[in-house]
Amino acid sequence: MPQVIDVCPLSELQPGEMRLVEWDDLEIGVFNCGGTVYAIEDRCSHDDGPLVEGEMDQETCTIECPRHGSLFDLKTGKPLTLPAYVPVDTFPVIIEDETIKLEVE
Amino acid sequence: MAVTDNERLREINSDYTERYGFHDAENYLYKAPKGLNREIVEKISEFKSEPQWMREFRLKALDHFLARPQPTWGSPMLAEVDYDDIHYFVRASEKPGRSWDDVPEDVKRTFDRLGIPEAERKFLAGVGAQYESEVVYHQVREDLEKQGVIFLDMDSGLREHEDIVRKHFATVIPPNDNKLAALNSAVWSGGSFVYVPEGVHVEMPLQAYFRINTENMGQFERTLIIAEPGSYVHYVEGCTAPTYSSSSLHSAVVELIAKPGARIRYTTVQNWSTNVFNLVTKRAVAYEDATVEWVDCNLGSKLTMKYPSVYLMGERAHGEILSIAFAGKDQHQDAGGKIIHVAPNTTSNIFAKSISKDGGRGSYRGLLEIAKGAHGARSKVVCDALLLDEHSRSDTYPTIRISEDDVNVGHEATVSKVGEDQLFYLMSHGIPEDEASKLIVNGFIEPITKELPMEYAVEMNRLIELQMEGSIG
Repeated sequence: MPQVIDVCPLSELQPGEMRLVEWDDLEIGVFNCGGTVYAIEDRCSHDDGPLVEGEMDQETCTIECPRHGSLFDLKTGKPLTLPAYVPVDTFPVIIEDETIKLEVE
Repeated sequence: MAVTDNERLREINSDYTERYGFHDAENYLYKAPKGLNREIVEKISEFKSEPQWMREFRLKALDHFLARPQPTWGSPMLAEVDYDDIHYFVRASEKPGRSWDDVPEDVKRTFDRLGIPEAERKFLAGVGAQYESEVVYHQVREDLEKQGVIFLDMDSGLREHEDIVRKHFATVIPPNDNKLAALNSAVWSGGSFVYVPEGVHVEMPLQAYFRINTENMGQFERTLIIAEPGSYVHYVEGCTAPTYSSSSLHSAVVELIAKPGARIRYTTVQNWSTNVFNLVTKRAVAYEDATVEWVDCNLGSKLTMKYPSVYLMGERAHGEILSIAFAGKDQHQDAGGKIIHVAPNTTSNIFAKSISKDGGRGSYRGLLEIAKGAHGARSKVVCDALLLDEHSRSDTYPTIRISEDDVNVGHEATVSKVGEDQLFYLMSHGIPEDEASKLIVNGFIEPITKELPMEYAVEMNRLIELQMEGSIG
């Protein structure tokens, strides 16, 4: 059953910023790429690297895993470079009342 | 091998120091001081008049390199690598010549001595010769050029085909993949750029030859091979260096991309002198119905750590790794391979053979991974080790991860000694003990040398002969 959770006020996640959200046993990275907010599983599918500790490229909307350098597309969760080859989960983002919310299951 | 061949080989009456271990006087246009910093990286980029994105790529990779600790797995010898005691860039000529007459005389003499121009005339479709940091000679047959085949040194590849390079460069091995890949990404220079258009078959091999001359040199070539759908190419590389008492470092990055139905074969005959650390990252992707084969022969170096890998990304893709490692006195050959089955009905083989003698250490380190969804995958891993005496060592580190039920995986491993009964049998037929040992070794590696082009198989056997001199089983 999907549930909507609050992350933070939109003003607290400026373009280029990212943060970790923990919910249940899920760790989710929330990223503001050039004004659009995306949320993906915070776990590189190659070696469990923490993606929110990586470097975000706002031009391409990608995040680089700090552990072995795989680039993930923030919109789709797909890896764009090896060594990761399995997509990570993505989560729908809702902006409501100037607040960032996520739909999780 | 027939005894007559052995007699012929013995006539060469040479050893590494005489044949490969010589060095030339240093007449360089530029030689960077020892050590690595931002300034050196910027200087390399500036020398090559690179686009801004590559300069930024290098500097970011340098940060990755500096931030990462030296790996502690693999070999205790890794701790001996002194990154401050290396020259990271040495330029021997202005630009790669298209004729051997354009190559500086002493450098040309070196390649003559190594037999490269002769091999080019006889059986190669193209040759690249790298001396220190840069390629000094590059040529590809005109008929291939007309078919759209690109075979350039990597620096020229970036200059002349920036769009293709930018699209593929570092997509297989990102700069932060590991410390040595980060180092290569920061200071890469030379290597090959190969592009084979759709449906084109390059029937004769392309060859690159890598030569280090300077003491305490770091060579960091970067190779990218792109085979468009339905194409075929065989790339062969060889490498040697002078024998010095202090260490040099060779750290290449090689990326192969085999698009649907394409086939790439990549053959290495590594024969670095025993003062060279050879720490290389090689990785390939094979899409639907594509094949990638690594034929990897490691004879020289002080320490080699190299595990060519293939990611089988498309259905029915095939990966093959054939690896020989020969570890002599004070050498550690830590070699093997990795195959990752991502798509259904993919197939692979890893055949690894190691020979250890005179206290040398041969290690097989491999990974076979079958991802969820890769149903119908089939793979066979065989690793065999031959120990020629009691002081030598062999280790096997096979990792197999399977996340799918409907697969077929086989793994075999053997360790054997050259047995007295085998020697006795051969000697009872009038074959001297030395000769008998060589025959046993040649028989052991024959399944792999037979995969080499004939000229290289002869060279490989000759090299093994040299390594075996004075060795009694």
